[in-house]
Amino acid sequence: MSTSSADPTVDRGTPRTAAPRKGAAPGPRAARGSHPFARFVLVRLSVGLLLCLGITILAFVLTHAVPGDPVAANLGDRAQNDPAAVAAFKEKNGLNESLPSQYGTYLDNLLHGDMGTSQQTHRPVWDDLADRVPASFELALVAIVLALVIGVGLGIVAAVTRNRWPDRIIRVVSLAGVSMPVFWLAQVSFYLFSFKLGWIQAGGRLSPGAIPPEDITGLYTLDSLLTGDTGTFGEAFSRLVLPACVLAAFNIGVLTRFTRAAVLEALGNDYVRAARAKGLPEFTVIRRHVLRPALTSILTVAGLTFGGMLAGTVLVENVLSWPGLGQYAYKSALNLDLPSIMGVCLFVAVVYVVINLLVDLLYGVIDPRIRLS
Amino acid sequence: MQGNHPIGDSRRAKAVRRAAAPLAVTVAAALMLAACGGAKKQSGDAQGDGGTLVVDTSFSLKTADPGRTFEPTGILVTRPVYDTLLTFAGGDVTKPVPLLAASYEAAPDAKTFTFPLRPEAKFSDGTPVTAKDVVFSFNRVKNLKGNPAFLLDGVTASAKDEHTVVLTTEAADPALPFRIATPALGVVNSKTVAAHGGTDAPGADQGDKAEQFLNSDSQGSGPYRITKYDVSSEVILTRNDNYWGAKPKYAKVVVRNVPANTQQLNVLSGESQISLDMSPDQAVKVKGQAQVLQQPTPTTAFLFSNDNPATSPTTSNKDFQEAVRYGLDYKSLLDVAGAGSAQAAGIVPSFFTGALDPAKAVQRDVPRAKAALARAGLNNPSVDLYYASDVTINGINFGDLGARVQANLKEVGITINLKPAPTQTALDSYRNGSEAMGLWWWQADYPDASDYLAFTPGELVALRAGWKADANAEVSGLAQRAKVATSDAERVQLYKQLQEAMNKTGPFMPLLQPAQVIAANNTVKNLHYNPIWYIDVDKLG
Repeated sequence: MSTSSADPTVDRGTPRTAAPRKGAAPGPRAARGSHPFARFVLVRLSVGLLLCLGITILAFVLTHAVPGDPVAANLGDRAQNDPAAVAAFKEKNGLNESLPSQYGTYLDNLLHGDMGTSQQTHRPVWDDLADRVPASFELALVAIVLALVIGVGLGIVAAVTRNRWPDRIIRVVSLAGVSMPVFWLAQVSFYLFSFKLGWIQAGGRLSPGAIPPEDITGLYTLDSLLTGDTGTFGEAFSRLVLPACVLAAFNIGVLTRFTRAAVLEALGNDYVRAARAKGLPEFTVIRRHVLRPALTSILTVAGLTFGGMLAGTVLVENVLSWPGLGQYAYKSALNLDLPSIMGVCLFVAVVYVVINLLVDLLYGVIDPRIRLS
Repeated sequence: MQGNHPIGDSRRAKAVRRAAAPLAVTVAAALMLAACGGAKKQSGDAQGDGGTLVVDTSFSLKTADPGRTFEPTGILVTRPVYDTLLTFAGGDVTKPVPLLAASYEAAPDAKTFTFPLRPEAKFSDGTPVTAKDVVFSFNRVKNLKGNPAFLLDGVTASAKDEHTVVLTTEAADPALPFRIATPALGVVNSKTVAAHGGTDAPGADQGDKAEQFLNSDSQGSGPYRITKYDVSSEVILTRNDNYWGAKPKYAKVVVRNVPANTQQLNVLSGESQISLDMSPDQAVKVKGQAQVLQQPTPTTAFLFSNDNPATSPTTSNKDFQEAVRYGLDYKSLLDVAGAGSAQAAGIVPSFFTGALDPAKAVQRDVPRAKAALARAGLNNPSVDLYYASDVTINGINFGDLGARVQANLKEVGITINLKPAPTQTALDSYRNGSEAMGLWWWQADYPDASDYLAFTPGELVALRAGWKADANAEVSGLAQRAKVATSDAERVQLYKQLQEAMNKTGPFMPLLQPAQVIAANNTVKNLHYNPIWYIDVDKLG
């Protein structure tokens, strides 16, 4: 078995001749400079744009397919019985128009930077998202870092200690991670670590009535560090730990199992045996010859994981009172608040498109063969 | 294969330790920083300056603009910010008492109400409260055409002089003083609100632009000001230094959006002082460790059997309705609702003027129910029962309640098919009157029996149960008389008669009033339950 054919990072659909040797002169395609790369990015962005458009149509149609009425959801019993109040509500929210016309108006407004006004908060959806996205982003970012560091780390340890006790323990832990429902884990963790043991504060981004740090990025931990406010950083970080760990738990399980499988596959290759035979330190062997080929697969899972975390925030934020996008999405759905639902869907779609694009670009950074092809 | 290389194993272990070291250092550093102190508090947090009261509740909040507020959390936070002409003292909602008004006088025909204002009352910016502000606030509520607009149907507000407001009504309206005490009719500073896009003119529903301003900077004359408003996480009230009345104890009140399960733990751990949404089951767990108020709410859970033959020939049968009424085991339903709940004797809650004596409540009578079913001539009737499955009202899951109704009526010979649906879906069929049987609730809009005239023939809720205007002359006649009766004694008598008549022949079966549980840790003093706004945060000691 040749080294290259056993390497899991090789795209099986790509002719082997497409991967030139290191240091070889660039081929004719590479000589054309960044043009194919720019075209690749442009195509991906165009597809992403179409995808976002499709998401808006889907969200719009599905929200209207629910057998509920925004008037009933937003007006009380008395007001709903008052024709003047109903007419005023419909007029204000553009509900008198036909559905295609409503959608057309939405798109037109969207192109002008107006995502509409939320029926539940009575504020521009853009402002609502701007308030909530940093909270969810901070939570998801810490969770993904935790998931990557712990998940990949445990996966490597499990692989190199295959079938021995560390591997067995890690496999049980990772199975528990993927098996436990997030809402249950959030409740139990809060009860145990915050209430019973008192190790961690939880509920909200800061203690009740505390002054948030100066708004620079919207991430309280980062903003408090940038302004040198260690007290607020301590509190913001301590309140971030529990929701981030809960959110990361499932993904730690997924990444551990995936990394273990990818590393085990790489460990069995001849080039790893050759590297060891050459007397390279084990850390270097794993980092350079095992982890790197496995990284493209791990990256794919990590990209999907980050998007999946946005869905996970709905449960975590509601149970642990985290004022982010998940809480907003839940309330929007409950109130059939169409502009907010559309805003959340569009935002999540954009995140998915951007993350996938970044992952594709990172493939090239990690694997020179993909970059050159 | 790896197990065969002990030297390789040791190298791998070393490699793992090397990889783990930076992670361990990072986590340790972060935890040390996390332990190094708390966030800055807003001024007024010092113990000597009143401190902070933290109240946990599951938010039902859309706005802090009193002219648009009608959700429970909105009422809780706007009540201590916007003084009303009248209010209710403590938990007694049977008698409105003056607040911004020094007193009030109702004409004998109950069509004219005069309110002289307190001369000392002033807004949070120090400007005095005038009759012009009251007229502006009331006209704005009417013309915004939002949820609270119906409170002023047929009411005209005018300023007799700078400090006297006169309200006139088209017909006798003895319930007006009760509606006036509703926080949605809080008085705003007309000058500043108008300066920020507010208007009280017709067309305000499209033209008024003051909501965002009022969400960020309150303009009331109450003991607190809103200094932070986040519709999904927390609202912060800060003591109004210009308040004309007694200074509240707490310098700051933080009302947070917290799920009910977490509220229990927060109160016990001291993270918050008050919880408003625990279930009766949770209340049992905190008793002894915290003070608990547990009593019926002004919400009536009811069952209806649609009176419209076109919707259901079965449920519109009067004998079938009697079979349902006497087939229900009301005491077993209270088991579902938990301690503190009470059987609803009539549709009007027990602590409102005109409520029916508990002794007059319908009791289960299975032989009578079976006899009625036999008279109905229905052989093993099977009926669909609709309810909202995704909502819990004061700890009551309507799925559990529906299952208990199903079991009760099976003993009588009626088969109930449970038809759960998400609230927004179920509301549609409920409001368009297409449900054969429905299990719903009604929360008082204001604490007066007249709010429940909506259940009389041809009115809002009655039409949802197919009870048309001409369906019952006796009940309609009593409702008309009760609506315009001006003497308290006459009103009480008529509302009681009305409910007794409805309990005999109407399609509604009032079931229960759920329990409201308010838990507070023992540092909170002077805690009382108010059926409309839960607690008076400014009166807590």
